[in-house]
Amino acid sequence: MSNFDDIKNAAAERLALNARLRTMLVDGLELPVDADKIEDDQPLFGRGLELDSLDTLEIVSLVEEEFEVYITDDDKSVFGSINKVADYIVANRPR
Amino acid sequence: MWKGSLMQADAQRESFALVFGGSRGIGRAAAERLSVSGLTAVITYRSDATAAQDVVMTIRNNGGRAHALQVDVRDESAVRTVFRSVAVMDGVLQTVVYSAGITSDGLLATMSADSWASVLDTNLTGAFYVARQSVKAMRKTGGSIVLVSSTSGISGQPGQGNYSASKGGINALTQSLAKEVAGLGIRVNAVAPGFTDTDMLRRMDAKARAEYAAHIPLGRMGEPQEIAHAIAFLAGPQSSYITGQVLAVDGGITA
Repeated sequence: MSNFDDIKNAAAERLALNARLRTMLVDGLELPVDADKIEDDQPLFGRGLELDSLDTLEIVSLVEEEFEVYITDDDKSVFGSINKVADYIVANRPR
Repeated sequence: MWKGSLMQADAQRESFALVFGGSRGIGRAAAERLSVSGLTAVITYRSDATAAQDVVMTIRNNGGRAHALQVDVRDESAVRTVFRSVAVMDGVLQTVVYSAGITSDGLLATMSADSWASVLDTNLTGAFYVARQSVKAMRKTGGSIVLVSSTSGISGQPGQGNYSASKGGINALTQSLAKEVAGLGIRVNAVAPGFTDTDMLRRMDAKARAEYAAHIPLGRMGEPQEIAHAIAFLAGPQSSYITGQVLAVDGGITA
């Protein structure tokens, strides 16, 4: 397979992962927004999606159940955005 | 809706009690007692598969449902696997009991660091791993966590610095976690058994046991089933307004 195909496949996988995360968050947290309206770099907490500490528990639990990836307070930056969560999953998911 | 009561749809699903350290002693009695309440008991054990299988068969022979899983509670990934196993059975995790515990007695001045660490790792850090997985598993449905402490965590016990510290830690963890998760409909309580007739105490010689028993106001040691009744009470709906408490079941020794 060519390098171009590799890059194209990786990009498609990443887009799919981000889309899955957006849907997971909207459904799991019952957010009153359309999943495709959340931007990949939009902050999840603070002035972004305005999530709170119970939502943190929900995100940590959902990521654990869906991807077998475990997030603790040592990795708080993970909650920065959809892209940050996706980066963390890609780096830590079981092979 | 109040999460302490199961949702309508959940009423049709199988309800589970997960008992860590359920192959012997108080954990075994708790698993048997909870299965009588209609819960499917999933017990864990560290090494004694024969004892664990005996608990499962006893519960099944009495018309209950039970399963046994091997786990070392000091290994968080193994603890997670236990919770995933229960999740795939597609039931409601109603109760988690943490009864895994060891002793390694000795005077503090000469206690090895290994002895200290091994008791703290199993009795307290294991409870930490189990408690946080319980919270994740119960976050939607609510539930009840019961940690098995000891009167050694309430009043001092010479020769048990490590064990007393671990059980005092369990009591503090119970109070702290209860306040953290009350909003999720999850209750967290502990029982503090006194002198109870289990393998752990059968290692003491008969004379020492008799001397200790003479100091108990009710004049005898407790039976594991008597502790199990208290665990079932704290696990079940009759204790719906109780959280963050340590209930001594000790024949009056801490009165």
